[in-house]
Amino acid sequence: MTNSNMTCEAFDAALPDYLEGTLDESMRASVEAHLRECVRCAGLVRDLENIQKEAAALPDLVPSRDLWEGIEARIVAPVIPLAARPEREKRYVPAWMGIAAAALVVSTAGITYTLTSRSLAGRQAQSIALGTTGQTQQPLDTGAPQQSPDAATTEPVNGGSENLPGVRGSSAQRGGVQANLVSQPQNGPASSDAVYGKEIEMLQRIVSQRKTQLDSSTVAIIEKNLKIIDAAIAQSRAALANDPASMLLSGQLTRALDKKVELLRTAALLPSNT
Amino acid sequence: MLGASNAVRVPMGDSADVALAAGGDRQAFERLYRTHANRVYSLCTRMSGSRVKGEELTQDVFVRTWEKLPQFRGESAFSTWLHRLAVNVVLNTRKTEGKQASRTDESDVGDERWDVAGHAPMHIERMDLSEAISKLPAGARRVFVLHDVEGFKHEEIAELCGITSGGSKAQLHRARLLLREALER
Repeated sequence: MTNSNMTCEAFDAALPDYLEGTLDESMRASVEAHLRECVRCAGLVRDLENIQKEAAALPDLVPSRDLWEGIEARIVAPVIPLAARPEREKRYVPAWMGIAAAALVVSTAGITYTLTSRSLAGRQAQSIALGTTGQTQQPLDTGAPQQSPDAATTEPVNGGSENLPGVRGSSAQRGGVQANLVSQPQNGPASSDAVYGKEIEMLQRIVSQRKTQLDSSTVAIIEKNLKIIDAAIAQSRAALANDPASMLLSGQLTRALDKKVELLRTAALLPSNT
Repeated sequence: MLGASNAVRVPMGDSADVALAAGGDRQAFERLYRTHANRVYSLCTRMSGSRVKGEELTQDVFVRTWEKLPQFRGESAFSTWLHRLAVNVVLNTRKTEGKQASRTDESDVGDERWDVAGHAPMHIERMDLSEAISKLPAGARRVFVLHDVEGFKHEEIAELCGITSGGSKAQLHRARLLLREALER
């Protein structure tokens, strides 16, 4: 503390602005009055001003080695830019098309779920009924074409191995009950095949409409994978024709159909220009 | 005004070499390098606090200068443009360095050595100003070098370093106090 009104603490607070020359007139006068009386603060200002002056006058430093060689090596061998990618034509797709595609996919998924749920419920109900009575039941009237009882009990419907997801053969189905289930073509593999067929058809329609919005390489990959899946479906069907009761083959066919639906759904929802 | 020191240091007669170098003349660019190398090296070394790092950064700066030279419009002196580019290279390198460096910078902020009346940090021994600068915490060092050595204004430093003008002033004052303590020992 000095005779001036300013304390050393107040001086310290004002010091940065004093050195910057940004104090107002009255504050500056107070600081200068304090400096005339306070040795500690005067010494501090003197030292800091000397540091400023010395810093501004610092001589340039010299590198320990000639750096040009390294610089020249880098600028002589510039990075070769990758071949410029051809500018992709900007395709503007109305937002409603994307929304419509998404809505269609959702609706087909919903239809699949509804139909497969009904099919599963019907099969389970019949399975329970048949399992308890041990009698051959007449097919339920669902409006689906019915086969003769003889044909139904001895020969599965063509493609009947395309079971529903989640109905891939319990131990009960592998036994006597399964024989009765095979006789229910309206809720069995035939109807599930129809569900898959309907959904695949709808999705394929969406994907074919979207082909122009997708990158040609993406379309090629999708088509290539669809061919592979179709080949797997065809092989599974052929194998099932020889061994209609095989749950393994049935499961394989179901998985292949699932894959096809999944791929088509993914393709239908791909953003444009991918 | 400290900024005036820049004007004194700016070598004249660069324009012909700048034009030639911008057109791909490596010899002209080498002449520019020879003219400005020490100043750029000084800036890089003082800002990074390391001579080895300063040499690496100097090379980076001139490679970057070679790449950017065709974009130089001559709106400012070449040396001013070059030094601003050098500052950017140093600061960008700092940003891309590992977490350890960033942690060091963060820890600068609340350093207790800020106190005027406090004791000098134990690791700082008697040394000349250049060495003392190299021992400053990174944030304070950068601002001190840019302001007191290179003559940048607080507003420019704030923009370059991504801090406020007030932050730049605070770091500068802190750096000066730390240097005083270090030099007194």
